[in-house]
Amino acid sequence: MEIIDSTLLSETQSLCPECLRLTSAQRVVKDDKVYLVKRCPEHGEYRTLLWRGNPQWDSWVRPTIPTPPKECFTHVEKGCPFDCGLCEDHYKTTCTALLEVTQRCNLNCRYCFANAGSELDEPSLEVIEGWYKNVLVASGPVNIQLSGGEPTLRNDLPEILDMGRKLGFKFIQLNTNGLRLAEDPIFLSQLKEAGLSSVFLQFDGTEDQIYQSIRGRSLFDLKVKAIGNCGEHGIGVVLVPTLIPGINTHNIGGIIKFALENNPTVRGVHFQPVSYFGRIPQEPSDQDRITLPEVIQAIEEQTDGLIKADNLKPHNGRCSFSGNFNRQLDGSLKPIVNSSCCNGPERADELARKTRTFVARQWSGAEKFSIQAPCSNSWDNLIQQLKTYAFSISGMAFQDVWNVDIERLKNCCIHVVSPEGTLIPFCAYNLTDKQGHSIYRRER
Amino acid sequence: MSNTLKQTPKPLWKCGKCGGELKRGSVKASYLGNDFEVEELKCLNCGLVLIDEELALGKMFEVEQSLEDK
Repeated sequence: MEIIDSTLLSETQSLCPECLRLTSAQRVVKDDKVYLVKRCPEHGEYRTLLWRGNPQWDSWVRPTIPTPPKECFTHVEKGCPFDCGLCEDHYKTTCTALLEVTQRCNLNCRYCFANAGSELDEPSLEVIEGWYKNVLVASGPVNIQLSGGEPTLRNDLPEILDMGRKLGFKFIQLNTNGLRLAEDPIFLSQLKEAGLSSVFLQFDGTEDQIYQSIRGRSLFDLKVKAIGNCGEHGIGVVLVPTLIPGINTHNIGGIIKFALENNPTVRGVHFQPVSYFGRIPQEPSDQDRITLPEVIQAIEEQTDGLIKADNLKPHNGRCSFSGNFNRQLDGSLKPIVNSSCCNGPERADELARKTRTFVARQWSGAEKFSIQAPCSNSWDNLIQQLKTYAFSISGMAFQDVWNVDIERLKNCCIHVVSPEGTLIPFCAYNLTDKQGHSIYRRER
Repeated sequence: MSNTLKQTPKPLWKCGKCGGELKRGSVKASYLGNDFEVEELKCLNCGLVLIDEELALGKMFEVEQSLEDK
């Protein structure tokens, strides 16, 4: 594809969507858009939209000083992204380690990283214990996310949680569609008892039409029920919408409004623009993507200025943004200023530590609030107000084979534990060529 | 904490700067660019605020931590 009137911003590396060959790539600007342009000697040129509109690409930086992992399970042989484990060339230590405890699922979604499986090939408790221990060796007691498939399909999930807590992991989150949490409060109380800190709830919108389109059935009432049950058990909930242009991008403000109505149980919203994995015969067009600045603009527009674009700051390079707020009694949001961010290069391990601490604090269940009369301006009340009514808005753009930028991949701090117990950056683990072939994930 | 207003009508402290009497009143606190109003003992004469060690290392530190971002 030919780029006319475009300006070269910088160079990086990427992969060929057809054969996964490592290619040189250019980030180029055309009008208010930034594209990744790459050429495979065999399969030709590819041009993929990375960024559209404000805040501008150049302004959105958070430079970090690379710090390699404590313990590398693989060595550099073929070069990034073919030696993941992590290798000594990786820039960042782990913020969150993902453990896929099953590949089974009770939904059949159009956009999903996970693949289907059966009970027979699920990891045993012994294998999962080995994974936890490997995470401890490589990264220490970082935040854990139990994922899948749908992890609540495992009846021994409380044991898996308990095991993690006993091994020293303080924050364990569950990535779930919430169906079982809505329907089985006894199971939820067992999870709480075992040490569940937070639920990362798949939540695509406040309209059933959205669930029909993405998940194949109406789910909104079940989501509401799951959130209610989590609230009763003091478990924090983060709403996680997958944003798909034309499907739910109009509902961004509605999702935030719903989240605020359900704060303090709902601790925040974490937006994930859709990315394309698996067998995608047709290259996704610009219209099939919503980039981070577009999400940020939509947040401001659709909340009628309750949240300003300026309140949202870059977190992990051009992968993510976040903003923190305190909900006031009158329903307004007071932005928490983050003056510690973005004032020059930060050590990657320090940034990862700050991220872990913040996530564990913000996404865990809130303490019950009790205003102490007669003095409303006491330190106790301020502490409770700040903790209980804390609310976060964040977003993370995953990379697929079209927009993958090796520099960004090296900077990833979300690591999936592979069946063999190595740590693979999330986007490298889920990445596939356009036929659905994976570099790391076992194919079925 | 909030009940101390009633329980201790006459603070034991005197202002170290001017010797004035201390009384509980509204004080502006700021951390990392975030401002809050809290009730604290301050000098009626010169406005100097008393922050004792227990407060600095306890509740004040807790507020600071909850404002620290990623």
